[in-house]
Amino acid sequence: MNLHRITLLLLLSVAACSAEDRRSHPTPEPALPRLANATQDDLAHELEDADRRGTWMEVRHRWQGQVLRWTVTRQRALCRTAEACNVAAFPVRTGAPAGWLPTLKFAPGQFTALEARCGDREQCELTVEGKLEKLSVSAELPTNLELTGVTLVDGPKLARG
Amino acid sequence: MNKLYPTLGALSVGAALLASGGDTVIASSHREAPAIAEDQYVDNTDVYAFISPQSPDRLVMVANYVPLLIPASGPNYYKFSADARYEVHVDNDGDAKDDITYRWEFKDQIKNGNTFLYNTGVINFLADPDLNVTQTYDLFRIDEKSGKKTRILHDAPVAPWNVGKRSFPNNTYEGIALEAVKSSGGTSSFAGPRDEPFFVDLHVFDLLGVGGAPTTDGVNVMSLVLEVPITDVAKDGKRPAAGSADKSSVVGIHASASRPQVRVLRRTRDSDDYGNMIQVSRLGWPLINEVIIPLRDKDKYNRSQPVDDVKNFGGYILDPEVPKLLNLVLGANCPATAAGGRTDIVGLLSPMGTAAADLLRINISQDQTNAQSHFPNGRALADDVTDTLLTVACNNGAAIRDGVNANDKPFTATFPYLASPASGNP
Repeated sequence: MNLHRITLLLLLSVAACSAEDRRSHPTPEPALPRLANATQDDLAHELEDADRRGTWMEVRHRWQGQVLRWTVTRQRALCRTAEACNVAAFPVRTGAPAGWLPTLKFAPGQFTALEARCGDREQCELTVEGKLEKLSVSAELPTNLELTGVTLVDGPKLARG
Repeated sequence: MNKLYPTLGALSVGAALLASGGDTVIASSHREAPAIAEDQYVDNTDVYAFISPQSPDRLVMVANYVPLLIPASGPNYYKFSADARYEVHVDNDGDAKDDITYRWEFKDQIKNGNTFLYNTGVINFLADPDLNVTQTYDLFRIDEKSGKKTRILHDAPVAPWNVGKRSFPNNTYEGIALEAVKSSGGTSSFAGPRDEPFFVDLHVFDLLGVGGAPTTDGVNVMSLVLEVPITDVAKDGKRPAAGSADKSSVVGIHASASRPQVRVLRRTRDSDDYGNMIQVSRLGWPLINEVIIPLRDKDKYNRSQPVDDVKNFGGYILDPEVPKLLNLVLGANCPATAAGGRTDIVGLLSPMGTAAADLLRINISQDQTNAQSHFPNGRALADDVTDTLLTVACNNGAAIRDGVNANDKPFTATFPYLASPASGNP
């Protein structure tokens, strides 16, 4: 096969791909079902499944952008400031089902509220709601995720002065 | 003899061991993850950091690679990979991101390709023409903030393998190997084989069945050793005042190795490498990837960066597997992990308010001396990190020991501090 034929084949391939792209894009994708009641355990199970089947992108597509309400544990050592806050998504049991600790980015005033609610406790359990803004999942790199616009839904009572 | 030794009534927990400054410290990372176990030459095994015993103004950093090397391993003796990039990274402001990087790049040389011999006669000096197979390296210092890259050494020699008594008669090996110590701009450097300084009973991986067997005695490792002025790694080039509690009073150190992204194997000639360098191994504390990170994430751990450790792997640190195994297999009576998780371990990974990460952190403020450089404040070569970490992990008020308490060879008081490698033909 000479160089001209190879070039022609390559150009045709590129054109075919472009045409495919144009065909597949005009129709807006249907809105995702809201994962209103989906827990971190559900996500962990889906990620475990993705480990076996390689369906990382499907998991991300399904979860990223969703507003989630999760009960998590805030350890002071891992969530000292609004700018650097990670929380435990799973209670201590018989070994962590996953390594990731969600990063929280708070809605205005909400980190102050968290501090007030948790008081001096080294750890406290809270229910938070936020948008899963970023879910990093792949075969190559570890999973991590970030919830933004986080608000407190429930948690320990206000610490006494 | 029973496996591990839960010595009830001993000192008290790991905290005491950690605070003692005596025979303490970390673990190690030999063949710890599936992918890196298939790529031995870039397998980072241990990192050490301590204030120089010769000068309290200088910091020693050791990064070891290529685990568990049998001395009689000819004809192609172990070396560094000329295709790889070896690095030691320093965080000097507590954010767990690299501020200073030292980088080694190696080149291979063969003087005579018509023989299978590593050396074609007795070796009398490092540049001896009879030393047929050699390596050299360039050493760079990179300021990650400014991007300034400074070449410290060019074509510096790697110490040869200790082939045996016929090649190095009359115990001449060590003197010749130490010809590979080079200095420039206040930095001293050594690259080459050394006696494996990590001591452990590796029978621990047979269902924790250790009984004090010194399984790493008599094997070698490939060592990169640097000694630098502390001001070379301190934030803004200034050593913190004595007693400083600022984040910058500790530096966080980790080592890594990277390979080109693509290798094309050729039928008719040597392979070609292409693409960006991809990190394939890293290590700060010992045993983190070995026994904290589960199999599903071990390779991912090696590809990731310390700054992301909490968000990626924090769950494994809060709820580690080790104490559960100690209970299950040995009946060690490790207490159930508290509901809030092992924040004590998180605390050890984030001294002085630094960001928690798998970095070997060492205090570099002006009152620090070599005597204080013991894990987890750095890591001295003689520190028994296995005992320390098992004890910390179990957290039952007793010391957990593997029964191996020291290296088989003494360490030296002078650079490069690691013992001479075992001979292939003693």
